[in-house]
Amino acid sequence: MAVRNGTKTLTEWLTLLLGVVILLVGLIFVIMGADLAMLGGSVYYVICGIVLVASGVFMVMGRTLGAFLYLGALAYTWVWSLWEVGVSPIDLLPRAFGPTILGILVVLTIPVLRRLKSRRTLRGAV
Amino acid sequence: MRRSHLLATAAGLALACSPLAAHAQFAPAGSGGPPSATIPGPGNADEPKENTPADSSYFAGPSPYAPQAPGVNAANLPDIGSIDISEIPSMAPQQSANPAHGDWPAYGRDDNQTRYSPLTELTPETVNNLKVAFTYHTGSYPRPGQTNKWAAETTPIKVGDGLYMCSAQNDIMKLDPVTGKEIWRRNLNVKYESIPYTAACKGVTYFTSAVVPEGQPCHNRIIEGTLDMRLVAVDAATGEFCPAFGHNGQVNLMQGMGESVPGFVAITAPPPVVNGIVVVNHEVLDGQRRWAPSGVIRGYDAESGKFVWAWDVGNPDDHSQPTGNRHYSRGTPNSWAAMTGDNALGLVYVPTGNAGGDYYSGLRSPAENAISTSIVALDVKTGSPRWVYQTTRKDVWDYDMGSQVTMMDLRGPDGMLAPALIVPTKRGQTFVLDRRTGKPILPVEERPAPAGHVPGDSRAPTQPWSVGMPALRMPELREKDMWGMSPIDQLYCRIKFRSAHYDGEFTAPSLDKPWIMYPGNNGGSDWGSMSYDPNTGILIANWNASPMYAQLITRRKADALKLMPIDDPHYKPGAGAAEGNGPMEGTPYAIAIAPFWDPFTKMLCHRPPYGMITAIDMKHGQKVLWQHPLGTARANGPWGLPTGLSWEIGTPNNGGSVVTAGGLVFIAAATDNQIRAIDEHTGKVVWSAVLPGGGQANPMTYEANGHQYVAIMAGGHHFMMTPVTDQLVVYALPDAIKH
Repeated sequence: MAVRNGTKTLTEWLTLLLGVVILLVGLIFVIMGADLAMLGGSVYYVICGIVLVASGVFMVMGRTLGAFLYLGALAYTWVWSLWEVGVSPIDLLPRAFGPTILGILVVLTIPVLRRLKSRRTLRGAV
Repeated sequence: MRRSHLLATAAGLALACSPLAAHAQFAPAGSGGPPSATIPGPGNADEPKENTPADSSYFAGPSPYAPQAPGVNAANLPDIGSIDISEIPSMAPQQSANPAHGDWPAYGRDDNQTRYSPLTELTPETVNNLKVAFTYHTGSYPRPGQTNKWAAETTPIKVGDGLYMCSAQNDIMKLDPVTGKEIWRRNLNVKYESIPYTAACKGVTYFTSAVVPEGQPCHNRIIEGTLDMRLVAVDAATGEFCPAFGHNGQVNLMQGMGESVPGFVAITAPPPVVNGIVVVNHEVLDGQRRWAPSGVIRGYDAESGKFVWAWDVGNPDDHSQPTGNRHYSRGTPNSWAAMTGDNALGLVYVPTGNAGGDYYSGLRSPAENAISTSIVALDVKTGSPRWVYQTTRKDVWDYDMGSQVTMMDLRGPDGMLAPALIVPTKRGQTFVLDRRTGKPILPVEERPAPAGHVPGDSRAPTQPWSVGMPALRMPELREKDMWGMSPIDQLYCRIKFRSAHYDGEFTAPSLDKPWIMYPGNNGGSDWGSMSYDPNTGILIANWNASPMYAQLITRRKADALKLMPIDDPHYKPGAGAAEGNGPMEGTPYAIAIAPFWDPFTKMLCHRPPYGMITAIDMKHGQKVLWQHPLGTARANGPWGLPTGLSWEIGTPNNGGSVVTAGGLVFIAAATDNQIRAIDEHTGKVVWSAVLPGGGQANPMTYEANGHQYVAIMAGGHHFMMTPVTDQLVVYALPDAIKH
């Protein structure tokens, strides 16, 4: 695939979009999650939200770290979900299904992020 | 083609972008909008002073002592005279006392209201072949420009060669039970304005006269109470008004009721005839004002339509009709559910609700407190209570009695066979009482209840729990029970949960922040009641697990929200009614109430199931035989989109069951718009069919032309958000249809 400097391919645009989505979800988690934590509820959302915000920012910046932060948040989500409701499909649905779908998309962006990284390295080397 | 496309897309979309697609259908389907109530939230129950015209209520109904306007007496009927109980002839044998094998002569089939049929053609083996035999259109549905307030809730009765039923607006008809052809129809011209919360007519009553000889008109009669408060009797053979009953077949039930407007009081349940007395109750629209019209219960002579007695809680020693400017005491608890008559004991079992201003009890009288949310056994000779059994003390949760009680014989823990009464409640506590005394046969425990949040309105320190019967309820809610399509709506619901008062069942109403009512006002058990197979001893109960979210608001806030009682001159017909925000004018507060849901996706906030069905073995220790969620996700989804999923998620349900000697339970009720047959012994769903509308009605079954038929009114329900239709759908085996 030919990559011209300064223009983004479709996959790069989609990666950027995914980063924005994760950033927004993270912000919602942080704001509403703080509200919930202050009401005496679960602190999962605010913690997870902070990681998601970082993940989103790094993905928008084209950093592979963003993807790995998301996968870390996903692992945390699964551990927390299983701790809270056990292996109950109906209860895992709202907690883990959507984040896992996003996680699959994030995994697909890793090669794109790596390519962006190598391009940055090349540019830095010139 | 296009429709199936749409369904597929919707289902695909729901699956693709959400973990979950199934939920309680409280979402729009067809005409009419969802309940629009918004709950103000913590610290928002008041309004700054400068925004409102006055400290005291700006919106208010007329004086409770104002005279009744002429139009409130719908047919302009003259007053009815009284008759002494001693002049009432002894009752002729009634069809419902000993129903013919293939008949269904009363709302609950027989005098015991068992909803049990001895028919056996349909069994778990044969039921799979059921086909639609005919569909009948009643003609009552919302016309353009009318708010959808429809939920027909009708159960036909069947006697001999006729299927008798009413439309949602009270027109009465006799159908051929084999073909569905209309044999006669009596139009009663009930106006749209007379529809209270719901246009419903649960059924009509079949009465055989002791005075009119057989073969004469009105020997057999169809008796009905109407939305616009008429008591009507027509000849069962022709549909002609019975001239000797009231004023040419009609009695004005607004007589003595005082100030009111159309739609404030209404009858939706069939009036029972007990030892020759037609007993009439009526609903009074919830949440309007403390001094709403009376909830008086009245007895009339089933032969002449003349007044016999009244039971007026505020004036318990005077059983006569008010004269002159007097009227029955206002604001007293009303009774809207179907009553059960007990000819042997001379009693009528009245399921009561609450005094006016449903969510604030500080102004209720001791007499009102003593009989609200109770079963009251009234002596049909005098109109005085013989006993009262209260199921919730100082009820501020709208746990009014919705179910018709069922009579049975039960061997109690002491080994004695007793005449028993099954009393389902919205709390999911089923009380089993001795009909002679009202004392519980199965043990009841008094347990401590949460204290009140509102000054001047203390809560009862304890509440009764029927520990001898399986509880038809879910465990108390926890934050982790919050649910949704995604973590975000789950998070929203967690915040909503944590923002409210919740101390489990009986959490007291509050002003500072919302409170959660669970069970909600749809039950537990509601008007669908229960069915009981006296041979197997199996009791069938369908029930809900759907919390409500509510908050008291100040009078100033209520004025700012323009909450006004239905009889306020500013009131616009079709505006908010019961089950939504209510002004509770005359009390210090108004009420904001909505389902405990995410108002954006219209999904309930907590995890399913939202509706269940349970079989209880009454002969062997009241154990649960089987229990499972009732209703699939096929017609439900986020934003009301149908998912097409056959997963039995358990939806909210309204309407009851039938149990047959063939070993089947027939029930629709759920919001998936299906009717199903369930194996009585295993709980397995052995047949189901999709209805043209919501099946929020009690089905019935009968035999005609040598074959068994199953009838269900697919009338839908505006609050349940199921499609409203005017269709009665009747099923039979192919052999019966080839005629």
